[in-house]
Amino acid sequence: MSNFGRMAHLLAAFMALLFLASCSAVQQGADVLAGAGQISKSDRQSITKTSQAVSSTFSQITEEQEYYIGRSVAALILAQYPAYDNAALNTYINTLGQAIVYSSDRPEIYAGYHFLVLSTEEVNALSAPGGFIFVSKGLIRRCKNEEMLASILAHEVGHVCSKHGLKAIKKSRLVDAFKVIGTEAARRYGSEQLAQLTTAFEGALGDVFETLVVRGYDRKYEYEADDLAVKFDVAVGYAPKGLTDFLQTMIGDSTTASGKGWFKTHPSAKQRMDKAKSRIAALSSVPAEAQVRTKRFEQSVAALN
Amino acid sequence: MQLKRPISLTLTISLLILIVSLLVAETLTVKVQSTSLRNTPKFYAPTVQSVNAGEKLEKISAQGGWIQVRTSGGVVGWVHSSAVEVPKFDLLASNKGLKTQASASEVALAGKGFNKQVEDSFRAKHKDVSFVWVDRMLQIRIAAAQVEEFMKKGKLGEFGGGK
Repeated sequence: MSNFGRMAHLLAAFMALLFLASCSAVQQGADVLAGAGQISKSDRQSITKTSQAVSSTFSQITEEQEYYIGRSVAALILAQYPAYDNAALNTYINTLGQAIVYSSDRPEIYAGYHFLVLSTEEVNALSAPGGFIFVSKGLIRRCKNEEMLASILAHEVGHVCSKHGLKAIKKSRLVDAFKVIGTEAARRYGSEQLAQLTTAFEGALGDVFETLVVRGYDRKYEYEADDLAVKFDVAVGYAPKGLTDFLQTMIGDSTTASGKGWFKTHPSAKQRMDKAKSRIAALSSVPAEAQVRTKRFEQSVAALN
Repeated sequence: MQLKRPISLTLTISLLILIVSLLVAETLTVKVQSTSLRNTPKFYAPTVQSVNAGEKLEKISAQGGWIQVRTSGGVVGWVHSSAVEVPKFDLLASNKGLKTQASASEVALAGKGFNKQVEDSFRAKHKDVSFVWVDRMLQIRIAAAQVEEFMKKGKLGEFGGGK
C-alpha cells in the first residue's frame, strides 16, 4: 500500500473512532468495533477490561456516595455542636442559601443544599460534602446585614461546589473502597465486603471531619472559597463587600487569635480581607447594598437576641 | 488509480458516519436524586415534569448552563447541566481518563460504594451518633417560588441589584 493509502486508512480508522466517541458506553463501542472487524477480540477484551478497572481519586466519588459521606459527616458535626431549633431562622437561612445556590457553579447536587444554624457562640461555619451547610449563632451575631451573611454562606457553598471536603479524603481509603466496588457486581454487599467498606467509610469520615472541624482547610482552598463567594455574591446581586466587611470585624478578634472556629485555618482574617478586596477592585461593576435586605436580616435574626 | 477508489469510498463512508454521529442526539443521565424539568431555563420557572436518578434524557439544545431535553415519554423541558451526567469520550485524553469516565458511571448506575447499606453498618457500630437532625435538615425544602419571592423582595438578581 502506498504512503497515501496508509494515511487514508489511518484517517478512516480515526473517523471510526470519532464515531465511537458519540457512543456513551465503552463496552458497546468495543463491541461495535469488534463486529466491524476493526479491532481484534483480544483488543476488545482489553478495552473492556480497562473500562472496568477502577482508579482511586476523589473525582471517582459519585454524587450518591458524596451524599452518604456528607450525611455522616453532618451527623458527626451535630454531635459536636447542637442544632438551633428555630424554624423561622432556619427557613430564612435556607431561602437565602438557595438564592446563592441557584447562582453557583454547581446548583444541583444529589439531595440539594440544606442549611442549619448551630447553637454555639463560637464564630463558625462548616460545610460537609453533599451540601450540608452549618452556620453558628455566634457567627450570625457578628453579621450586621444580609450581605455579610450571604458572603459566609456563599463561601461555604463554594467549598461544596469545588468538593474541598472530599479532597481531604486520603487516597488509601478510596483504594480500599474501590477494591471492593470493583470486585462486587451487586448493589448489596456480603458481610466481609461490607466490613471492608465500612472501615474505609469510617476512615473517609475521619479525614473530612478532622479537616473541617479540627485542622481547617488548606489555605489555597480558603482563598478559592473566598473567590467563589465574591463571584456568587455578584451573580445573585449582593454587594461582595459583605465578605470584606465581615473579615474586617474579625481582625484582632480574640476568637481568631486562638485559631478557633472559622479562622482555625492558616490565612488570617487580614490576609483574606486584603486578597478579597483586590479581587473585588478588579471587577468592572458590583451590586450595591440595599436597605430592604438589611431590614429583613435584622428582623430574621432578632430571635437570637 | 485502482487503489484510490476504495480509499475514497472508505473516506466518504467515514465522513458520513462522523456527520451522522455528530447529528445524533446525546443521551444524558440524571445524576441527582430527583429534579424538575422546567419550561424555561431558570430555577424558578414552572415545572414541566420531575425526573429521577438514572433516567435518560435526550439533549436538544443548550443555553447558559441549561440543557433543553426530551424524556423517553416525549416531554420537553430544561434541566441544569449540573443535574445530569454528560457522556464524554475524549480520545485525546490519556488512558486514565478513559478509565475514569467508564468506571464512574458504572459505579453511579449500580449505586455501589458508600451507600445506604454502608451507612446502616456505620450507624450500627456508632449508636451514639444521631442522624435525627440530618434527616430534619433534609426535610427543610424551600420551593423555587419562595426563592423567587425572596429575590424579588430583596431586589436581587433580575429583580434589581444583579448584573
